Amino acid sequence: MSTATNPLGDLSAASGRALKEVFFKQLKLQILQSPVKDALSTVEGKLLHSAVSINGEKISGTVLLQVPELLAQRVTEIMLGSKGDAEEIRDVTGELCNMIAGRVKAELHASGFPATLGTPTVSVGQRIALQLRGEAQLSSTDWSVEGDQAGDFNLQVQIRIIS
Amino acid sequence: MNPKILSIDDSKTIRMLLKRLFTPFVCELFEAGDGQEGLEVVNREKPDLIILDYNMPVMDGVTMLRQMRENPEFKRLPVIMLTAEASPEIIGTVARLGVRDYVTKPFDSDQLLDKVIRVVNLERRPEA
Repeated sequence: MSTATNPLGDLSAASGRALKEVFFKQLKLQILQSPVKDALSTVEGKLLHSAVSINGEKISGTVLLQVPELLAQRVTEIMLGSKGDAEEIRDVTGELCNMIAGRVKAELHASGFPATLGTPTVSVGQRIALQLRGEAQLSSTDWSVEGDQAGDFNLQVQIRIIS
Repeated sequence: MNPKILSIDDSKTIRMLLKRLFTPFVCELFEAGDGQEGLEVVNREKPDLIILDYNMPVMDGVTMLRQMRENPEFKRLPVIMLTAEASPEIIGTVARLGVRDYVTKPFDSDQLLDKVIRVVNLERRPEA
Protein backbone atom coordinates (compact mmCIF):
# COMPACT_ATOMS: atom_id res chain seq x y z
CA MET A 1 0.00 0.00 0.00
CA SER A 2 1.41 3.39 -0.94
CA THR A 3 0.40 6.96 -0.27
CA ALA A 4 -0.14 9.98 -2.50
CA THR A 5 0.15 13.74 -2.09
CA ASN A 6 -2.12 15.35 0.47
CA PRO A 7 -5.21 16.76 -1.31
CA LEU A 8 -5.53 19.63 1.16
CA GLY A 9 -2.33 21.20 -0.11
CA ASP A 10 -0.97 23.21 2.77
CA LEU A 11 -2.24 21.13 5.68
CA SER A 12 -1.44 23.81 8.27
CA ALA A 13 -3.46 26.39 6.33
CA ALA A 14 -6.40 24.02 5.90
CA SER A 15 -6.47 23.04 9.57
CA GLY A 16 -6.11 26.71 10.55
CA ARG A 17 -9.15 27.62 8.43
CA ALA A 18 -11.19 24.91 10.14
CA LEU A 19 -10.08 26.01 13.60
CA LYS A 20 -10.75 29.70 12.98
CA GLU A 21 -14.22 28.97 11.59
CA VAL A 22 -15.19 26.89 14.62
CA PHE A 23 -13.91 29.39 17.17
CA PHE A 24 -15.49 32.36 15.44
CA LYS A 25 -18.84 30.87 14.44
CA GLN A 26 -19.51 28.82 17.57
CA LEU A 27 -17.74 30.85 20.25
CA LYS A 28 -17.45 34.33 18.70
CA LEU A 29 -13.74 34.25 19.50
CA GLN A 30 -10.91 35.40 17.26
CA ILE A 31 -7.79 33.28 17.41
CA LEU A 32 -4.23 34.01 16.38
CA GLN A 33 -1.40 31.70 15.50
CA SER A 34 1.11 31.76 18.35
CA PRO A 35 4.53 33.21 17.53
CA VAL A 36 6.05 31.09 20.32
CA LYS A 37 7.65 27.82 19.25
CA ASP A 38 6.25 24.81 21.16
CA ALA A 39 3.92 27.15 23.04
CA LEU A 40 2.25 24.39 25.05
CA SER A 41 5.49 23.67 26.89
CA THR A 42 5.01 26.96 28.77
CA VAL A 43 1.42 26.18 29.80
CA GLU A 44 1.00 25.45 33.48
CA GLY A 45 -1.46 22.84 34.70
CA LYS A 46 -3.26 20.05 32.91
CA LEU A 47 -4.16 19.84 29.25
CA LEU A 48 -7.32 18.37 27.81
CA HIS A 49 -6.74 16.32 24.66
CA SER A 50 -9.51 15.52 22.24
CA ALA A 51 -9.01 13.33 19.18
CA VAL A 52 -11.30 12.44 16.28
CA SER A 53 -10.38 9.93 13.58
CA ILE A 54 -11.12 10.43 9.89
CA ASN A 55 -11.50 7.27 7.82
CA GLY A 56 -12.36 6.64 4.19
CA GLU A 57 -11.52 4.21 1.40
CA LYS A 58 -8.68 6.41 0.18
CA ILE A 59 -7.78 8.28 3.33
CA SER A 60 -7.14 8.01 7.04
CA GLY A 61 -6.25 10.65 9.56
CA THR A 62 -6.54 12.11 13.02
CA VAL A 63 -7.43 15.53 14.36
CA LEU A 64 -6.02 16.23 17.83
CA LEU A 65 -6.89 19.33 19.84
CA GLN A 66 -5.00 20.13 23.05
CA VAL A 67 -6.19 22.95 25.28
CA PRO A 68 -5.17 24.11 28.77
CA GLU A 69 -7.78 23.34 31.41
CA LEU A 70 -8.37 27.06 32.03
CA LEU A 71 -9.18 27.69 28.36
CA ALA A 72 -11.46 24.63 28.28
CA GLN A 73 -13.33 26.10 31.26
CA ARG A 74 -13.71 29.47 29.47
CA VAL A 75 -14.96 27.82 26.29
CA THR A 76 -17.44 25.73 28.27
CA GLU A 77 -18.81 28.84 29.94
CA ILE A 78 -19.27 30.52 26.56
CA MET A 79 -21.00 27.52 25.01
CA LEU A 80 -23.21 26.49 27.90
CA GLY A 81 -23.70 29.82 29.63
CA SER A 82 -22.49 28.47 32.97
CA LYS A 83 -19.37 26.96 34.51
CA GLY A 84 -19.53 23.30 33.63
CA ASP A 85 -18.54 20.39 35.78
CA ALA A 86 -15.56 18.21 34.80
CA GLU A 87 -17.66 15.97 32.57
CA GLU A 88 -19.24 18.93 30.76
CA ILE A 89 -15.84 20.55 30.20
CA ARG A 90 -14.57 17.30 28.65
CA ASP A 91 -17.69 17.00 26.50
CA VAL A 92 -17.35 20.58 25.21
CA THR A 93 -13.69 19.94 24.33
CA GLY A 94 -14.71 16.79 22.45
CA GLU A 95 -17.46 18.61 20.57
CA LEU A 96 -15.07 21.39 19.53
CA CYS A 97 -12.67 18.80 18.10
CA ASN A 98 -15.61 17.09 16.37
CA MET A 99 -16.57 20.36 14.67
CA ILE A 100 -12.98 21.03 13.58
CA ALA A 101 -12.68 17.49 12.21
CA GLY A 102 -15.99 18.01 10.41
CA ARG A 103 -14.62 21.07 8.59
CA VAL A 104 -11.38 19.22 7.68
CA LYS A 105 -13.46 16.29 6.43
CA ALA A 106 -15.60 18.64 4.30
CA GLU A 107 -12.45 19.96 2.59
CA LEU A 108 -11.24 16.41 1.99
CA HIS A 109 -14.63 15.47 0.53
CA ALA A 110 -14.52 18.47 -1.81
CA SER A 111 -11.12 17.22 -2.99
CA GLY A 112 -12.52 13.80 -3.85
CA PHE A 113 -11.70 11.96 -0.63
CA PRO A 114 -14.96 11.11 1.17
CA ALA A 115 -14.61 9.88 4.74
CA THR A 116 -16.46 9.43 7.97
CA LEU A 117 -15.66 10.80 11.41
CA GLY A 118 -15.09 8.75 14.52
CA THR A 119 -16.52 9.61 17.93
CA PRO A 120 -14.40 12.13 19.89
CA THR A 121 -12.23 10.71 22.67
CA VAL A 122 -11.10 13.04 25.45
CA SER A 123 -8.30 12.60 27.98
CA VAL A 124 -6.37 14.73 30.45
CA GLY A 125 -2.61 14.93 30.87
CA GLN A 126 0.61 16.39 29.51
CA ARG A 127 1.30 17.49 25.94
CA ILE A 128 1.22 14.68 23.41
CA ALA A 129 2.35 14.55 19.79
CA LEU A 130 1.01 12.53 16.88
CA GLN A 131 3.71 10.39 15.29
CA LEU A 132 4.57 10.89 11.65
CA ARG A 133 4.49 7.46 10.02
CA GLY A 134 5.24 6.50 6.43
CA GLU A 135 4.22 9.13 3.92
CA ALA A 136 1.54 10.68 6.12
CA GLN A 137 1.46 14.45 6.42
CA LEU A 138 1.36 16.07 9.80
CA SER A 139 0.56 19.63 10.76
CA SER A 140 1.04 20.96 14.29
CA THR A 141 0.15 24.58 14.99
CA ASP A 142 -0.10 26.58 18.21
CA TRP A 143 -2.79 29.21 18.75
CA SER A 144 -4.06 31.69 21.30
CA VAL A 145 -7.39 33.43 21.82
CA GLU A 146 -7.10 37.13 21.07
CA GLY A 147 -7.18 39.16 24.28
CA ASP A 148 -7.29 36.13 26.55
CA GLN A 149 -4.58 34.91 28.91
CA ALA A 150 -5.96 31.39 29.37
CA GLY A 151 -2.98 29.95 27.56
CA ASP A 152 -1.99 28.76 24.11
CA PHE A 153 -3.50 25.66 22.58
CA ASN A 154 -2.44 23.24 19.90
CA LEU A 155 -4.04 21.59 16.88
CA GLN A 156 -2.48 18.60 15.14
CA VAL A 157 -3.85 17.10 11.94
CA GLN A 158 -2.41 13.96 10.41
CA ILE A 159 -3.58 12.85 6.97
CA ARG A 160 -2.57 9.76 5.04
CA ILE A 161 -3.77 9.17 1.50
CA ILE A 162 -4.07 5.51 0.52
CA SER A 163 -3.70 4.76 -3.16
CA MET B 1 -50.60 23.11 23.48
CA ASN B 2 -46.95 24.07 23.88
CA PRO B 3 -44.76 22.98 20.97
CA LYS B 4 -42.68 19.90 21.68
CA ILE B 5 -39.11 19.91 20.38
CA LEU B 6 -36.91 16.80 20.45
CA SER B 7 -33.11 17.17 20.35
CA ILE B 8 -31.29 13.99 19.27
CA ASP B 9 -27.52 14.26 19.60
CA ASP B 10 -24.89 12.12 21.30
CA SER B 11 -23.11 15.29 22.42
CA LYS B 12 -24.32 16.46 25.79
CA THR B 13 -22.82 19.85 24.90
CA ILE B 14 -25.15 20.28 21.92
CA ARG B 15 -28.17 19.14 23.93
CA MET B 16 -27.30 21.64 26.69
CA LEU B 17 -26.71 24.39 24.15
CA LEU B 18 -30.16 23.79 22.64
CA LYS B 19 -31.71 23.71 26.10
CA ARG B 20 -30.17 27.13 26.74
CA LEU B 21 -31.41 28.38 23.35
CA PHE B 22 -35.02 27.33 23.95
CA THR B 23 -35.31 28.17 27.66
CA PRO B 24 -36.67 31.71 26.97
CA PHE B 25 -39.53 30.23 24.92
CA VAL B 26 -42.75 28.48 25.84
CA CYS B 27 -42.07 24.94 24.66
CA GLU B 28 -41.30 21.46 25.92
CA LEU B 29 -37.83 20.22 25.12
CA PHE B 30 -37.02 16.49 25.05
CA GLU B 31 -33.61 14.89 24.59
CA ALA B 32 -32.19 11.65 23.24
CA GLY B 33 -28.55 10.54 22.94
CA ASP B 34 -28.86 8.39 19.81
CA GLY B 35 -31.29 7.43 17.05
CA GLN B 36 -32.77 4.45 18.84
CA GLU B 37 -33.51 6.42 21.96
CA GLY B 38 -34.85 9.14 19.67
CA LEU B 39 -37.37 6.75 18.09
CA GLU B 40 -38.62 5.80 21.55
CA VAL B 41 -39.14 9.45 22.47
CA VAL B 42 -40.86 10.16 19.13
CA ASN B 43 -43.34 7.33 19.71
CA ARG B 44 -43.97 8.39 23.30
CA GLU B 45 -44.06 12.19 23.02
CA LYS B 46 -45.05 12.82 19.37
CA PRO B 47 -42.93 15.98 19.05
CA ASP B 48 -43.70 18.88 16.69
CA LEU B 49 -40.07 19.21 15.59
CA ILE B 50 -36.91 17.11 15.75
CA ILE B 51 -33.39 18.57 15.70
CA LEU B 52 -31.28 15.64 14.59
CA ASP B 53 -27.56 14.83 14.48
CA TYR B 54 -26.18 12.40 11.90
CA ASN B 55 -23.09 10.76 13.40
CA MET B 56 -24.18 8.98 16.59
CA PRO B 57 -23.46 5.61 18.22
CA VAL B 58 -26.07 2.83 18.36
CA MET B 59 -28.19 4.31 15.54
CA ASP B 60 -27.21 7.20 13.25
CA GLY B 61 -29.55 10.00 12.24
CA VAL B 62 -30.30 8.75 8.72
CA THR B 63 -31.22 5.24 9.92
CA MET B 64 -33.44 6.77 12.59
CA LEU B 65 -35.09 9.03 10.02
CA ARG B 66 -35.75 6.13 7.61
CA GLN B 67 -37.33 4.04 10.37
CA MET B 68 -39.41 6.94 11.61
CA ARG B 69 -40.75 7.73 8.12
CA GLU B 70 -42.00 4.13 7.81
CA ASN B 71 -44.68 5.04 10.34
CA PRO B 72 -47.43 7.00 8.51
CA GLU B 73 -48.02 9.05 11.66
CA PHE B 74 -44.51 10.54 11.38
CA LYS B 75 -44.22 10.77 7.58
CA ARG B 76 -44.38 14.57 7.70
CA LEU B 77 -42.93 15.24 11.14
CA PRO B 78 -40.59 18.25 10.62
CA VAL B 79 -36.87 17.54 11.07
CA ILE B 80 -33.92 19.94 11.04
CA MET B 81 -30.52 18.28 10.72
CA LEU B 82 -27.79 19.73 12.97
CA THR B 83 -24.54 17.97 12.20
CA ALA B 84 -20.82 18.28 11.48
CA GLU B 85 -21.47 16.05 8.45
CA ALA B 86 -21.66 18.13 5.28
CA SER B 87 -21.24 15.63 2.44
CA PRO B 88 -23.55 16.16 -0.57
CA GLU B 89 -24.57 12.48 -0.43
CA ILE B 90 -25.90 12.75 3.12
CA ILE B 91 -27.58 16.09 2.41
CA GLY B 92 -29.27 14.53 -0.64
CA THR B 93 -30.34 11.44 1.31
CA VAL B 94 -31.98 13.39 4.13
CA ALA B 95 -33.62 15.78 1.65
CA ARG B 96 -35.31 12.76 0.04
CA LEU B 97 -36.44 11.75 3.54
CA GLY B 98 -38.26 15.05 3.91
CA VAL B 99 -35.86 17.02 6.11
CA ARG B 100 -36.93 20.68 6.34
CA ASP B 101 -33.52 22.25 6.84
CA TYR B 102 -29.86 21.41 7.25
CA VAL B 103 -27.51 23.21 9.63
CA THR B 104 -23.82 22.33 9.81
CA LYS B 105 -21.72 22.58 12.96
CA PRO B 106 -20.22 24.99 13.89
CA PHE B 107 -23.47 26.93 13.85
CA ASP B 108 -24.87 30.32 14.74
CA SER B 109 -27.55 29.87 17.43
CA ASP B 110 -29.67 32.76 16.13
CA GLN B 111 -29.73 31.30 12.62
CA LEU B 112 -30.82 27.94 14.00
CA LEU B 113 -33.53 29.67 16.02
CA ASP B 114 -34.79 31.41 12.86
CA LYS B 115 -35.10 28.06 11.12
CA VAL B 116 -36.94 26.57 14.11
CA ILE B 117 -39.39 29.48 14.23
CA ARG B 118 -40.27 28.81 10.59
CA VAL B 119 -41.48 25.36 11.66
CA VAL B 120 -43.02 25.79 15.11
CA ASN B 121 -44.70 28.73 16.77
CA LEU B 122 -42.41 29.82 19.60
CA GLU B 123 -43.59 32.47 22.05
CA ARG B 124 -41.31 34.07 24.59
CA ARG B 125 -41.97 33.23 28.20
CA PRO B 126 -43.34 36.15 30.22
CA GLU B 127 -40.63 37.89 32.26
CA ALA B 128 -40.59 36.60 35.84
